[in-house]
Amino acid sequence: MPSMIAMERDHALAKPAYRILAEKLGEKILRGTDYRGDLAITVDRSAWKEAARTLRDHPELDYKLFLDLCGVDYLNDESRPDRFEVALHLYSVTHKHHIRLKTALPEKRPVCDTLVDVYKGANWFEREAFDLYGIVFTGHPNLTRILTHEDFVGHPMRKDFATGKRFVNKKAKEWLLTVPKGSEHLVLNIGPSHPAMHGCFRVQALLDGETIKDAEAEIGYLHRNFEKMAEERTYWQIIPYTDRLNYCSAFINGHGWALAVEKLLGVAAPPRAEAIRVILSEFSRIMDHLVCISTNVVDLGAITPFFVVFRAREEIYDLLDSVCGARLTVSYVRIGGVAQDVPDDFDARCRKTMGWIREVAEQLENLLTRNIIFARRFKDVGTFSKEDALSYGWVGPCLRGSGIGYDIRKDHPYSGYDLYDFDVPVGSVGDCYDRYLVRVEEIKQSLRIIDQALSKLPQGPFITDDRKVALPPKSEVYSDIESLMNHFKLVYDGILAAPGEVYGYVEGANGELGYYIVSDGKKHPARVKVRPPCYNIYQAYPQMIKGTMLADAVAMIGGLNVIAGELDR
Amino acid sequence: MGLLDIITGKYVDPTHFKSVHESGNIITTTVDAVVNWGRKSSIWPFPFGTACCAIEFMAFTGSHYDVARFGSEVLRFSPRQADLLLVAGTIVDKMGPILKTIYDQMPEPKWVVSMGVCASTGGFYRSYHTMQGIDEIIPVDVYVPGCPPTPESLLAALMKIQERIKSGDQAKRPQGEHRVGARAEGVNDRRERREAWAHDDASRASTGLDPRGRIHFKLTEERDESGNGSHHA
Repeated sequence: MPSMIAMERDHALAKPAYRILAEKLGEKILRGTDYRGDLAITVDRSAWKEAARTLRDHPELDYKLFLDLCGVDYLNDESRPDRFEVALHLYSVTHKHHIRLKTALPEKRPVCDTLVDVYKGANWFEREAFDLYGIVFTGHPNLTRILTHEDFVGHPMRKDFATGKRFVNKKAKEWLLTVPKGSEHLVLNIGPSHPAMHGCFRVQALLDGETIKDAEAEIGYLHRNFEKMAEERTYWQIIPYTDRLNYCSAFINGHGWALAVEKLLGVAAPPRAEAIRVILSEFSRIMDHLVCISTNVVDLGAITPFFVVFRAREEIYDLLDSVCGARLTVSYVRIGGVAQDVPDDFDARCRKTMGWIREVAEQLENLLTRNIIFARRFKDVGTFSKEDALSYGWVGPCLRGSGIGYDIRKDHPYSGYDLYDFDVPVGSVGDCYDRYLVRVEEIKQSLRIIDQALSKLPQGPFITDDRKVALPPKSEVYSDIESLMNHFKLVYDGILAAPGEVYGYVEGANGELGYYIVSDGKKHPARVKVRPPCYNIYQAYPQMIKGTMLADAVAMIGGLNVIAGELDR
Repeated sequence: MGLLDIITGKYVDPTHFKSVHESGNIITTTVDAVVNWGRKSSIWPFPFGTACCAIEFMAFTGSHYDVARFGSEVLRFSPRQADLLLVAGTIVDKMGPILKTIYDQMPEPKWVVSMGVCASTGGFYRSYHTMQGIDEIIPVDVYVPGCPPTPESLLAALMKIQERIKSGDQAKRPQGEHRVGARAEGVNDRRERREAWAHDDASRASTGLDPRGRIHFKLTEERDESGNGSHHA
């Protein structure tokens, strides 16, 4: 449809980002599109760094928040002269706008400039693109494997790499840091199996007494290849995989995935489904914050809050169990709605659970907020400035703790968040205590949202009646030939999205959870990139702990709420 | 529960002193039986939690399910102090050497629970970096199905471990040793899988074997009245 493409281009041309880049780069801008409201600009690889710098520094653009950088392999796309592409996602907090910057790289020599000196957060993302796609970033300070192990051969996300091919890792990487010769500093290895490391992160610290002189982190200990698996699954089949990204708040991941695919398809879920999604998302957010706070203080030696909090968690589990039959990994969302309607006593169950949460939150605050030991361990520890937070790409409670009130639910309302009245708490100092307070306040705000959503829960269908997206009800499948055919086609062919690419995002429990989906018109997505909030947050962790005491490093990691499933995917 | 009094042939519980007195104040048994009897109710687990299962493991130790009822609430984060390795979550190839080291560091006797399908078989992550079951590198005593298993099934696994301790059973060798680093099967699309099957059939045919899954029906021989096979006639 040439007219459609022309229209997209016209939309893109009207955007200030395109205009300013065009003035600056001229011929080097190759393409601008505005597919489904996503502004995407392709530049020549020689102008890659300059384009990124312009987007960051120009006062009219101000794309200071680094979101994501990833590689894409277009091996099967005949129309493209170059096999690889690098896609960069940025956000402007002042102008409330997302942008995608792309550049194509040839198969023979996939080389482009590094962005590490423009955005600090680009470091690990470029290492990941190198690891998974073999894209080389010139000028990168440490371009080594990050997710796969040392004995791995090849670049697994390339389309010609067999999914099941494995290599045995014979020996764990022992040294991440080098000790200067003649120094008496001690290298301390923390993790990947360490109680303070919540799963499988690893940090190596160079200690002078109890002070950390230098630190280096290693990840990939839970790299279980969500993105590669997603390329072999239909849009539905990916839903259970998303549950296992941030498993502390599994429902939000599915919600984000459904919204991203709905954006790609151009369909909308009915209001009742959206309200149910909001309610369960907020319960999941509460669950996530509760686990974050309680395990954080367990690391500091206080086990009572853990037992108190798990009482409320069990109540939320029971609620999810009654809705969909699963406690943790719910798989309740569907493209275009939810799997089934909520039970009749949903309202009563929610209100009972909310009562529990209120009680537990109050107990938690009594135990912690004014507790002098807790305050001394948390106040002025792990302070992180606004500028660094943006450059590393922090989002969610951690960014808000640092004093920037960016909340997707407010700034880009989805699923009807604009219908509800709630506040966004913002910290003032940016230390561990602020992040804790933001989380506690968000629990209360989430309860407010749930309360409003429950009282105006609309009646109606729980899933869209678009038969290219959602299965017809079973009663119709058995009685109506057309529904039977729809059912058959949809199960056999899956959802077929038109070729195109979107970036869908939601406010996850610990930040902006984004899905960058590239569709080539087939039943499996050509590329799915998760924009994991933890990845950026954990990347800053070694920088944060430099110069602090070892015990403070333990206090910091819990409050950042890094979830391994999402970090390593 | 209890110790075998070999004179009366009955189990007696040494905590019921009265019954011990009545049967002669003496119990004859083996040291192993007494030690195992004591050991099974004081298991110290090492939680090797990596992923989603670790969250359900936390529920298992939390106030609602309360693992303290089974004497296993003393979680040890040092392998030197633990006798049960509880692997909760996906183990990827990068984590393999670390898991193996931790298993080796645990003192004998030791038991292993593989919690969830990822630890048991790789689960639905049939891909380039996921270990297809921890029994490739360490022996496993009890496998718990589920993704993630409910705390109830984990409690059941703990009780199974108690039974094994009581009877002196312990897995000694990694059951899946032979497939370390093997290609994760089941990932391909149907066409590729069929090609793989055809390849397998051909290689079996070349050694004179039938394709996998072919069942030979054995015909019962006709018998005459004397009971001998018909071919004798």
